[in-house]
Amino acid sequence: MTRLFSHFQSSVGTKVILALTGVGLVIYVIFHMLGNLQVFEGPHALNSYAAFLRDMPILLWTARIGLLGIAVVHVVLAIHLSLNNRRARPIAYVIHGYRRASIASRTMAASGIVLLLFIVFHLLHLTAGIIGPASAGLIDAEGHRDVYGTLIHAFQNPLMVVVYLAGQVGLAFHLSHAVSSSVQTLGFEHAALDRLFKAAGPSVALLVVLGNVAIILAIFLGIVR
Amino acid sequence: MRFTLNIWRQKGPNEAGRFVRYEASDVSPGMSFLEMLDAVNQKLLVAGEEPVAFEQDCREGICGSCSLVIDGIPHGPDRGITTCQLYMRRFPDGASITIEPWRARAFPIIKDLVVDRSALDRVMQAGGYISVNTGGAVDGNVLLIGKDRAETSMDAASCIGCGACVAACKNASAMLFVAAKVSHLALLPQGEPERTRRVSAMIEAMDREGFGSCGNQYECEAVCPKSISVRFIATLNREYLRAGIVESALSSESESPHAESV
Repeated sequence: MTRLFSHFQSSVGTKVILALTGVGLVIYVIFHMLGNLQVFEGPHALNSYAAFLRDMPILLWTARIGLLGIAVVHVVLAIHLSLNNRRARPIAYVIHGYRRASIASRTMAASGIVLLLFIVFHLLHLTAGIIGPASAGLIDAEGHRDVYGTLIHAFQNPLMVVVYLAGQVGLAFHLSHAVSSSVQTLGFEHAALDRLFKAAGPSVALLVVLGNVAIILAIFLGIVR
Repeated sequence: MRFTLNIWRQKGPNEAGRFVRYEASDVSPGMSFLEMLDAVNQKLLVAGEEPVAFEQDCREGICGSCSLVIDGIPHGPDRGITTCQLYMRRFPDGASITIEPWRARAFPIIKDLVVDRSALDRVMQAGGYISVNTGGAVDGNVLLIGKDRAETSMDAASCIGCGACVAACKNASAMLFVAAKVSHLALLPQGEPERTRRVSAMIEAMDREGFGSCGNQYECEAVCPKSISVRFIATLNREYLRAGIVESALSSESESPHAESV
């Protein structure tokens, strides 16, 4: 086991952990989006789904603490690698031309920071209810927490819509490089599947962000009320 | 043709460097980039100035010596070639061209455009070989290797070790180089016995030399004079993960034929 551990301390090993934690977070983000799409099914569906999640405090808190741990590891390792990478080229080129690198891949640090700030804001806003919606803590007709009402209230505010859309832009950029990159880092390659792996990043990013943006805009434009 | 060159001049490893402008006139479109620099140096010599130091050897794209970053791209604007295979007809007449050395902590500058690439040699010494007893050559076709496998291995083996991958990488990572060397041997039966030890030792050596880590931007593949695929980087990652698992399972057992049993 010590050998395996020492493997994970190398640059490649660190990247593998970064990729694995990233994959964990991506899976969460996909389910988060799918769960929230229930807003289109009306207050009853979303509120009872929320109540269903809260009915299992052990699972809920295990998931929350697990996710927090994964996110912390991901961020710390990303910073560690970035600092190392910066040291690897002490004198920059006067002219540096990119030939192939996607814009998403060049802005991973920036999109990561946007995403981190957004997640902190989002947790304080809709999860903890510390910032923003005065309707947090309301109870619906069935005695559940009125998550639906809180959402509707939040996204009728144009400022919140702008903040959330900005977060989604960060998410789209980050995921579109991250997912394909993780596949490569975890060592998957195959002549027949390489195009699929390359398309995985932008596709996952597009699907997740489209789902999330649909919720935000549907509420803002009054389609869901 | 005439060109304005903006060349990095640096007297020695510990001196401060700077860009110096040179005019290259009477350049034939059929001159290679290095021949154009030869002509510039000839004039500098006649004028009693120090010629621009740059590395070169075979001038036919197989030795991996030439190493110039031309307008921000290692080996210049064309794909799949080395600097010596780049011709001046590729540039518009009167163009201003910036020439820089490979820049990486692992490649310290020796003089002007010449960098010390022995970091790559040390990575090779860590495991980029197979251990065989010398003697008569093995008969041909004793070891049967599938066509696809042989071709893939040969694709990796076409690496000439020029270091353009490091020069192009935002993180000055040597992953494509190490990936090519590890994959080349891992795909063949001759490389099999030391497969696990090799990849661990080479990654360890790579980290020790101060190269950065791979960001999967694939700029390396775009500048590689041999167009080596980044798929080999995935192969390297897989080999490394495999080695971690195999080594932790075998922990005390060494698979190196060099290791004496005590």
